[in-house]
Amino acid sequence: MSILWISVGMGLAVAAILALSAVAFTLEYAVSRVVNLAHGEVLTIGAYAAYVGETNFHQNLYVCAVIATFFGALAGMALNFGLIERFRNQKPLSTLIATLGASLILQNLLLIGFGGASVSYEFAQGSLLHVGPFLWTTLTIRVMVSAVVVAGLIYVLLQRTRLGKALRAVSQNRELAQVSGIPARGVVMQTWAVAGAISGFAGFLYGETIGTITPSIGNGFLLLSITAAVGGGLGRPYATLGGAVVLGLIMSIAGTYTSSAYQLVIAFGFLVVMLLFKPNGLFVRGRALTVRA
Amino acid sequence: MLEYWTAILTEATIFGVLALGIDMIWGWAGDFDLSAYAYFALGVYMTIVMTVGKAKAPVEYVLGWHLPYLLAVAIAVVVVVAFASMIGAVALRNLRDVYFSITTLGAVWAVYYLVENFTPLFNGYNGVFGLFDPMGGGLSYNAYHYYFFAFCLLVLFLVYLLVMRLSRSPFARMVRAVRDDERAASVYGRNVFWAKYRTYLCGAGLAGLSGGLFAAYIGAFNPLDWKPTEIFVLYAAILVGGRGNPRGVVLGSFIVYVGFVEMTRYIPSPAARPELGPALRQILIGLLIILMLKFRPNGLLPERLGTDGTNPRRSWRALFSRSKFLRDPREDDAVADPADAVES
Repeated sequence: MSILWISVGMGLAVAAILALSAVAFTLEYAVSRVVNLAHGEVLTIGAYAAYVGETNFHQNLYVCAVIATFFGALAGMALNFGLIERFRNQKPLSTLIATLGASLILQNLLLIGFGGASVSYEFAQGSLLHVGPFLWTTLTIRVMVSAVVVAGLIYVLLQRTRLGKALRAVSQNRELAQVSGIPARGVVMQTWAVAGAISGFAGFLYGETIGTITPSIGNGFLLLSITAAVGGGLGRPYATLGGAVVLGLIMSIAGTYTSSAYQLVIAFGFLVVMLLFKPNGLFVRGRALTVRA
Repeated sequence: MLEYWTAILTEATIFGVLALGIDMIWGWAGDFDLSAYAYFALGVYMTIVMTVGKAKAPVEYVLGWHLPYLLAVAIAVVVVVAFASMIGAVALRNLRDVYFSITTLGAVWAVYYLVENFTPLFNGYNGVFGLFDPMGGGLSYNAYHYYFFAFCLLVLFLVYLLVMRLSRSPFARMVRAVRDDERAASVYGRNVFWAKYRTYLCGAGLAGLSGGLFAAYIGAFNPLDWKPTEIFVLYAAILVGGRGNPRGVVLGSFIVYVGFVEMTRYIPSPAARPELGPALRQILIGLLIILMLKFRPNGLLPERLGTDGTNPRRSWRALFSRSKFLRDPREDDAVADPADAVES
């Protein structure tokens, strides 16, 4: 049993959560053209919602997941309604700065609400399992399976539903979609709800995996989500999924051979290399359209 | 009470220098740089390790020289500029707007985790310490602090004069032209990258300088002291004062530091909830940023947009007027978005 295979297995587990978070981030970018720096806080909200559901109301795992998803969706819609739509006619940079302010506000509201000390779920961490060459716990397997299921649902949503069609149209050209009779504002709102729901769920999975929840966990995960999205292709959901898997593997393998403390440094290196040589993302063909305005 | 005010004002003065530096990058060149706090922190670290002498057993850090304070600050600024030249070269070459911000956000967190975890550099999590009253030649405790405050004020004044002079120079005009329309500027033969890059290095140098001052002010520094998110306070200060106008930036940093950060210290935080006060302060900063962006994006003293760098009207009048003449022409473009007509 080599170290390499174990770290690949761990990388897949990280990539599963990363993929969900990054897809949510990329959907937000797709419909609103905004780099949402408050995205991490939506994850945190999901994680805390599940925590409240679990400790205070003694709910089981699945109910907690639903609670996290629900509150994530609420947070996403609130962000869109309260902030993103208000800044719609401003430059993208203004919106980015505004989301930075929102991130500060949400993070500190959570700090006031739940205190700075870390809390944790009481779900069982699961037992170790050898699957082929990999070493997983039942928890990481559950995380990966649910991530794959959610990714499948996203595929169905994008390709097989009216909302998905409208979403793709709005993401390509909001004004044109509008004149063709698509209620763009509503579609954007629903997309934010979906993205928020995915983020909330991802936050729950993340909290479960790392075991402790603090008001700043989402913020730490934000940079990884951005890197995965930009690395794969910002605004393209499937490319983002691929980017998340690649980033998860790179971080985990490189982290195994150096130190896990340097994972963020490695992620930044990946981001820089991608932005320098393939700014449109790994899985997007064509000329650089997105980088320069 | 006097000592307290001296301390607050010293801090505001030091951060005024930092704000002037950040404003060159954001206000003049239009690059929303999130890594400026890393330059500031590097300035603090370098100044400390170059003045306090060799590290003793459990503590470890690089250099460990015994230089005079002012020389150490000068070298620290050079080091910071050299470091910024690497990040700037990557981030400014092809990336603009949000992509530039993402890259610098990644850079600041990477630096943060590296400093925190790689102990041989700056003693990791525990940080460096021991810089004590570097300029006090036998002054009493209080007298030293007045003296240091005066010194910081002098530095801020000199930096302000320099930036103000630079702000009216052809160079700043060119940088602003690049910001407003990159393509047009390059058609007129301006090297866009070079203009932005030089501005970036100047801004980073000022950040390093303010770090050098801050090193003498607090004497010890560890990663808990500089969460990269603290840069928001600086951006709030610039937004309040007036982005792109050095006078506004200094005004804004005093308003935000004295009026906002320090006054909210009086919000009572019960002993059981020590995080309440700081958290509320952060929330107020976030609200301030959003509200300023939404309702007064040009700040109290808007940037001067006259052709020769002089304001067509006196700037204090701008406080009270919302005249079309003084507004940023880019705003009008943004409002005239065809989507508006469609949606409503």
